[in-house]
Amino acid sequence: MEKKRPAVKGFSNKQYIGFIIFGLCLCLIPVLVKMGVLKTSFLNIIGGSIIYTIAALGLNILLGYAGSSSLGTAGFMGLGAYISAYMSADLGLPWELSLIIATVIPTLIGILVGVLSLKMSGLYLGIATLCVAEIFRKTFSQFTQVTGGFAGKSASFPVLFGTIKLKQTGTFVLLIVFMVLAMMLTYNLVHGQLGRALHAIRSSETAAQAMGVSLRKYRLVAFALASGYGAMAGSLYVHFVRFVYPSTWNLLLSLNILAMIVIGGMRSIYGTFIGAIIVYAVPDLILKRIPVVGSYNGFAYVFSGVLVILVIMFSRGGIAGMISGLVSKRKARPAETAAAAGTDDSSGAGTE
Amino acid sequence: MENTNLILDEDEVLRVKDLSINFGGLKAVDNLSFSIKKNQVFGLIGPNGAGKTTCFNCITQFYRPTTGSVLFRTKNGNVEELVGQNVHDIIKKGLVRTFQNVELIPELSVMENVLLGAHVDFKSSLFAQALKLPKARKEEQEFRERTMDVLEFMGIADYANSLCSGLPYGVRKKVEMARTLLCDPKLIIFDEPAAGLNDVETDELTLHIRQIMEKYQCSIFLVEHDMGLVMNVCDRICAISFGKFLAEGTPAEIQKNKLVQEAYLGEEG
Repeated sequence: MEKKRPAVKGFSNKQYIGFIIFGLCLCLIPVLVKMGVLKTSFLNIIGGSIIYTIAALGLNILLGYAGSSSLGTAGFMGLGAYISAYMSADLGLPWELSLIIATVIPTLIGILVGVLSLKMSGLYLGIATLCVAEIFRKTFSQFTQVTGGFAGKSASFPVLFGTIKLKQTGTFVLLIVFMVLAMMLTYNLVHGQLGRALHAIRSSETAAQAMGVSLRKYRLVAFALASGYGAMAGSLYVHFVRFVYPSTWNLLLSLNILAMIVIGGMRSIYGTFIGAIIVYAVPDLILKRIPVVGSYNGFAYVFSGVLVILVIMFSRGGIAGMISGLVSKRKARPAETAAAAGTDDSSGAGTE
Repeated sequence: MENTNLILDEDEVLRVKDLSINFGGLKAVDNLSFSIKKNQVFGLIGPNGAGKTTCFNCITQFYRPTTGSVLFRTKNGNVEELVGQNVHDIIKKGLVRTFQNVELIPELSVMENVLLGAHVDFKSSLFAQALKLPKARKEEQEFRERTMDVLEFMGIADYANSLCSGLPYGVRKKVEMARTLLCDPKLIIFDEPAAGLNDVETDELTLHIRQIMEKYQCSIFLVEHDMGLVMNVCDRICAISFGKFLAEGTPAEIQKNKLVQEAYLGEEG
């Protein structure tokens, strides 16, 4: 009877430190660019990857946790970008305020779109959300007074607190800060009551309901989060790239963001970043430099398409799942006896 | 207007009255009535396809019964009509269930799976959770401690941090039972708790069911095919066949009942 009670693991700040160190490492990139080790274009490409990581984190909550599919991510990013550009450039609102408005309005619209997910799922939901995104895209090109139509719309680098004018490097660091914050927020959300409820909905709707999880409420919350993350990413995009066209926010972008979380790893925070790098940065940084094939424009899509197929065939957890699998194998070998009791550390490390 | 109907006897927890449900032309449950008392283990038996699980689903509102009423004495002592309520509100009243084919989340640890049972008891807002405010942290920690108590009680504390996907079937069944204990239940519904268990595990289960009832001061309502378990563990049994009431009584009475014997073994030639 004198058996020792296993320690109850609570919430730890260890993950926070990890995210911050990760962010600090990324901050080295501008330094290396300044020193001339990396090209300036590197900043643009990695900055883009960071923006897509934020949007993909939102989609990961929706698809990876709640199990609802959406092909409307690009539409919400565009919405965020246009609202932010309009607020700051045309209305002259401070950058902070336009970021908040550009996140909140699409989030509310996202909740309305989420109502669709109460009635349908899978492929049909994908098509419905795609239609919504296409409506947005059409609006961007036709509603010229606000969006500038096909000519596009420009915005400037953020001005913090009305005084600190950022340049490209400063905005890049700002992107990193936002991504790290988004990672922390995501980590907190998916490791608490909300995360469990979303897991339950994906795994078994009946069991979720029996445990008191309202399908309606949590599906809408998941949609709101995905739209909010997407719109925030869009708002950051327009202040980093300083230009926005309607044609950017098409199905291809939504599919790319989907590919990021499939390749990087469902339900993995670092995996989402890895996926964004592979889908967005690798084609630009590496593939285009390969002789002969690199000059073909569609080669990047072949690359990410083949990767998606390989990941689905061989490693459902994506690259993050593969890495954490290797780590746990290493850990398990010296301590095989403890395999039954303490596998959480190894499996939890990479797949959050 | 409703008060006249919302009356349960002092010691009653659940009263099912004239419950019927039709699927097209088929009457899966036909005019069924029974009642469960406080601190009672109540069994529902019947041949395959008798409508036992359908009856559970009607009580927990996964199905809307065609007619009839289900009165329940909730956690705070009020009597409520369950028919017409939201499925996800049922657990708040103190009525919780398990499933025939264990429904756990394979990607989560045992601890997290059981924590889902406390879902409705979490008070902190989404905002507080997202920022992990001290309040939310404390709450999560408290529930984790309580979960560990439950896991210890069920004898599966060693598995707390293991993922559910790799666990033996017997352990997963216990995890699912543990999940029902976190919400301060007044009535727990077990759908075939012994299905797929070996003899040793079934004996252990018999013990567990009585222990749960005593420790948590709740009633237990179970469907089971293992007659040995049913006869050992139940205080009262209701037998049904083709959705219709056959008999109700103590295990000994049910065993002797002619109608029940016929339903199980067929009529004597």
